[in-house]
Amino acid sequence: MSEALSAVTSDSRRRAPLAHRTAIKAMEGAASMAERAFLGKLVLRVDPAAGDAAVTGIIGVSLPTRACTSTRQGETAILWIGPDEFWIITAPDAQTSLLAGLAEAMAGLRHQLVDVSSYYTAIELAGPRARDMLMKLTTLDLHPRAFGAGQVAGSMFGRTQAVLWQVEADEAEGGPLFRLFVRRSTADYLWCLLAEAGREWGMPRQAPLAGETWQLER
Amino acid sequence: MFLITCPYCGPRDQSEFSNAGEAHIARPTNGEELSDEQWADFVFLRTNPKGLFAERWVHTAGCRRFFNMLRNTATDEILAVYRIGEPRPQVTTAGPVTPSGEAPIGSGNDAVKVMRPGEGTE
Ligand SMILES: [Zn+2]
Repeated sequence: MSEALSAVTSDSRRRAPLAHRTAIKAMEGAASMAERAFLGKLVLRVDPAAGDAAVTGIIGVSLPTRACTSTRQGETAILWIGPDEFWIITAPDAQTSLLAGLAEAMAGLRHQLVDVSSYYTAIELAGPRARDMLMKLTTLDLHPRAFGAGQVAGSMFGRTQAVLWQVEADEAEGGPLFRLFVRRSTADYLWCLLAEAGREWGMPRQAPLAGETWQLER
Repeated sequence: MFLITCPYCGPRDQSEFSNAGEAHIARPTNGEELSDEQWADFVFLRTNPKGLFAERWVHTAGCRRFFNMLRNTATDEILAVYRIGEPRPQVTTAGPVTPSGEAPIGSGNDAVKVMRPGEGTE
């Protein structure tokens, strides 16, 4: 019985929100875009003063206390979303055991812990032009002085809402690396908008989906 | 388009925020004793001044926290931003003088503008 159940919940039936889009690269690494599907994502609501010990005991790193920052331990990162709200991002499928461990460590503590892994997907943007592409879509101050490695901000990107996290510094090999967490229902809209924003740096047009026809440039 | 300083996140564009009505509206604790008129007053009636106004905002696209703001509704000048639970700051601002010298009611937009004789009848 348990075997049959695990077969149903395995990857074979799971479809990433952007599975129909292929990862794209522009101008020898000027910018690249790819979906990071199935990352583990937990929402934790807790008073950081009360919940930090439990979180540190399980994840090995403190809750970020400064607004719009993050802390990180290996594959697991904690993003500041609000003064008592945090997102825990971890490797695909690692969230189930993490959630169980956290729930046990926080038993008796006033908190809320929810697995939102399939509600959001992540678009990963990298390369020296990744920042410029994002700047076209948001009113956030994305100058490297104002937004650097480890920083987090929820904002509007085009007409949709997303949470931007800069994973790697601008000086890192390959330029800055961003992850943009977006609800799966608007992921394709944001993907197309980003591809369009990158066209001046050679982002190629994506192949039309089945049933779609595009008006080609003459 | 103007900047609003979220008390948690700092200055962000207005498009990230939503207005949530007048601030400091206390829910009655003696609800069962109130008349329909008194309930209607609590639920629907707001002061809507032209000038200094305390209102709630929510940082919808960012930290999603509610906070309070003192704003001059005639000029959109933001005089103070403070967290829920903090006392309303004492501020002074110039009167709501507009170039056209409109009557001191309403929000200042055309929809509520008081028409003077001979105005708007072309
Ligand atoms: Zn905020």
